[in-house]
Amino acid sequence: MTRKQILQTIQKILLYGLVLLVAVYALFPFYWAFMTSFKTERELFQSARYLPQQPTLQNYEYVFRDDTFLIGLRNSAVVSSATSLLALVVGAFAAYALGRLRFKGRMFLLYVVLSMTMFPAISILSGLYTIVRELGFFGTPLALIATYPVFTLPFTVWVLTSFFRGLPAEIEQAAIVDGATPFQTFRLILLPLTAPALVTTGLLAFVISWNEYLFALNFTATKPTAQTVPVIIAQFSGQFSEQEPIAEIMAAAMVVTIPLVVLVLLFQNRIVAGLTAGAVKG
Amino acid sequence: MTANTTSGETPATASKPPPISNRIYLICAMMIVIGVSAIAYFIYNVWHDDLIRVALEWTPTPERPERPSVVLAFLEQFGMIVPGLFFYLGGFFIVIGFQLRDANIRTAHWAKVALLWLTIGLGILILLTVYNAIHTANLRGESVVVGNLLQQIIPYFAGLLIAGGVWYWMHVNVEREFRGEDLLIARETRLAWNLLIPTLVIFVLVAARPLEQTFIRSLTDKRFAGEAIPQFVGLENYSKLLSIRFDRVPCRIDEETDGCSIRPNGTVRWESIDRDLLTDGYRTVWNIPLPLSDNRSLAVSSRDRDFLRSINTTLIFTVVSVSLELLIGLGMALVVNSHFRGRGMMRAVMLIPWAIPTVVSARLWELMLKDTSAGIVNKVLMDLQLIAAPRAWLSEPSLQLPTAIIVDVWKTAPFMALLLLAGLQTIPKDLHEAASVDGAGPVRRFFSITLPLLRPAIVIALVFRTLDALRVFDLFNVLFGRQQLTMATYNFETLVSRQLDGYASAISVIIFILISIFAFMYVRMLSVEDEQR
Repeated sequence: MTRKQILQTIQKILLYGLVLLVAVYALFPFYWAFMTSFKTERELFQSARYLPQQPTLQNYEYVFRDDTFLIGLRNSAVVSSATSLLALVVGAFAAYALGRLRFKGRMFLLYVVLSMTMFPAISILSGLYTIVRELGFFGTPLALIATYPVFTLPFTVWVLTSFFRGLPAEIEQAAIVDGATPFQTFRLILLPLTAPALVTTGLLAFVISWNEYLFALNFTATKPTAQTVPVIIAQFSGQFSEQEPIAEIMAAAMVVTIPLVVLVLLFQNRIVAGLTAGAVKG
Repeated sequence: MTANTTSGETPATASKPPPISNRIYLICAMMIVIGVSAIAYFIYNVWHDDLIRVALEWTPTPERPERPSVVLAFLEQFGMIVPGLFFYLGGFFIVIGFQLRDANIRTAHWAKVALLWLTIGLGILILLTVYNAIHTANLRGESVVVGNLLQQIIPYFAGLLIAGGVWYWMHVNVEREFRGEDLLIARETRLAWNLLIPTLVIFVLVAARPLEQTFIRSLTDKRFAGEAIPQFVGLENYSKLLSIRFDRVPCRIDEETDGCSIRPNGTVRWESIDRDLLTDGYRTVWNIPLPLSDNRSLAVSSRDRDFLRSINTTLIFTVVSVSLELLIGLGMALVVNSHFRGRGMMRAVMLIPWAIPTVVSARLWELMLKDTSAGIVNKVLMDLQLIAAPRAWLSEPSLQLPTAIIVDVWKTAPFMALLLLAGLQTIPKDLHEAASVDGAGPVRRFFSITLPLLRPAIVIALVFRTLDALRVFDLFNVLFGRQQLTMATYNFETLVSRQLDGYASAISVIIFILISIFAFMYVRMLSVEDEQR
C-alpha cells in the first residue's frame, strides 16, 4: 500500500468510529426504552440488566388494548401534517418578503416574529383558551392546528429568511429581465431552490407538533376523541398496580417514534438534493 | 393573483390622462363607508358589552359593595390591540378612500390590497360561522337550522360580494382607469405586505392577544380558578418581584478566634441584612465575598428569592447546555454530511432523541437515572469502574443541574445538527475542491470555508436554541418538580400550586421582557443584519 492509501484507510476508520460514536450517543437511551418496553413490571425494580430476563409483549398489548391509541396516532398525524403545511406556506410567504423584497421595517418585523418565542407557553395558555373557545375549536384538532403556529412559525420564518438571503441576487435579476413579476420569481424560481430548507423546517415543525403536550392537554381536555398521542400516553394508568406504568409508556414511545423515523428516512434525500452549485455560475 | 396585475409591460397612461370616471368616486365613498362603519361597529360593541354595562350602571349592593373598574372591564373584554386595529384599519380605509379621488394608480393598488384582505377575511368569517353552527348542532345532537344560519351569513356574504367585486373590477381596470406610474419598489412593498399579512394575523391571534391579556391580569390580584372579582393593584406584583437589594454585610465574628466564623463545611457565616428589611420581606439569596475588603460580602436580597434563584438556574443551564449543543450538533452534522454507507439511516438515527416526546423522554431519563443499581446509568458507570457506588442523580442538589444539562443536550443536539446539516448543503462543493487543489488541509478548509459559510445557519440555530433553553419547562418539571426551579417552572408553580394568577402573569411579563432584551442584544451581537443586501 502506498502512503496515500494508508492515510485514506485511517481516515475511513476514524470516520466510522465517529459514526459509531454518534449512533451510540443517540441510541443508547432509545435502546434502553426499547428493552424496558419488553420487561415485566417486577423486573423494573430489580438491578438493571442489559437484556430483559423474561421478554413479554404485554406492554404492547396494553397500548393497543382498545382503539384510543390508534385514534391518538391519527389525531397526531392530522394535526402535525396540517401544522407543518401551514407553517411552511405562511412561513415561506413571510420569509420571501423579509429576505428578498425591499421595504421599510424588515428588521422590526423579524423581531416581531421572533417575539413569539420569548415567553413560556404557560403564560399564553389561558388567553389562548379563551380564543379557542370563541372560535368554537375547543376539543377538536382545529384547536391545536390553530395554536401550534406559535411554536412552528417563528423558526420557519427565520430559517427560510436566511436561506432566501443566501441565494445569489443574479437569479432574481435574470428573472426580472425575462419579465417575471416578483411573485412569479418567488413561486417558480426561488421556492424550488430552497427545497432543503423547506424539508428541514417542515420536519422540525412536524416533530414539534407531534410531541407538544401542554396545549394538547388543555385544549382537548374533555374530548378523548381529539387527543394526540403525548396526552394519551400521559394518561396511561397501568394494568396492575398504582405504580407509574413506565414499561407501557416505553412501549407506546416505541410505537410513536417509528412514524417519525420513517418520515426522516423518506425525506432525508431531499435535504441533500437541494442547492447544488449549478443555479448560477460565476 | 396579484402577480398578473402588476405586470408593467403596457406603459400606463402614456399620452393624455383619461377623465376620472364616476365609478372611482363610488369606490371612494365605499372605502370611506367601510372605514367608518368598522369604527362604529366597534364602538357599538363596547357600549353594549355586558361587563362594561355592569361597571357603568353599578349601584352598591351587599354582594358587590365596591365599584367595579370600568377601565379594567374594558381592558379585560377588548384589550388594547383589538381597539387599536379597528381604529387603525378603519382609518386606513377612510384615508385611502379620500386619496382615491386623485385616481392615482399607487393608491389604487393599496386599495386593492385592503379589499383583497377584506374579502378573504369575510370568507374566513363565513366558513367559521358555518363550521360553528354545524359543530354546536352536532354537539347538541340537533340538525342545523338553515334559516338561522343564512340570516347570520347573509350580511357577511353581501360584504364579501361587494368587496370582492370591487377588487375584481379594479384588478381588471387598474391600468385604464387610474393615472400615474407604478414603481418597482412600490410593487415590492405591496407584495411584501400581502405576503406578511397571514403571519401577522397569526401573530396577533396566538401570541399578541393572549400575551396582552396576561399583561392585563398582571396588574390585578386575580386568583387562578377563584370566584373573587379581581381588583386593580397597579404595579404591586412587579414591585415585589423586582425589589432586589445589594447590601454590604460584614462576616459574623467568632468570639474565640476574633476572626470570621466559619461553618463546618468551610463557608463563612455572614451577618444578616437589616432587621427592618427582613420585616419588609427581604431575604438574602447570595453572599458574594468582596475581593478588596476582606470580611465583607455583597448580600443580594430580594422579596421573592425563589424568582432570583430560578433566573440564576436558568441562565447557567442555558449557557452551558447551548454551548455543548452547538459543539455536539456541529460534530454530528459534519459526520452525517460526509460520505459513508448507511448515511441516510444515520440521519434518521441521529434525530431519534429529538423525536421522542419530552413527556416520554423525561420519564425515560428518570428511569435510567434511578438512584439504585436499577438505574442503568449507575450500572454502566459502575461496570466501567467510573463510580464505586450508585449516585442519586436527581436528588443530590449538586448533581441536579449537570444532570438536566446532559439530558437536554442529548435531546436537542439533533435539532441543532439538522439545522446545521441543511446549512452545510448550501456550501458549494467546488469551493472545497478548489481549496483542496490549492493544498489546504481539512482543518484549514473547515475554518476558512465551512465555518464562515455556515455562519447564518449557526446564528439561527443558536438564537432559537437559546430562547428555547431560557424557557425550559417540561424537563425540569418532570425531573425535579419544585426542587430546582427555572423561570418557566417557577411561573407554573406560582399559577398552579399557589393559585396566584395575577402574580404569575407578572412573572410571565418579566420573563418576556428579560428574554426580549436578551434576544435583541444577542441578535445584534451575532449581527444577523450583516447579511442584508
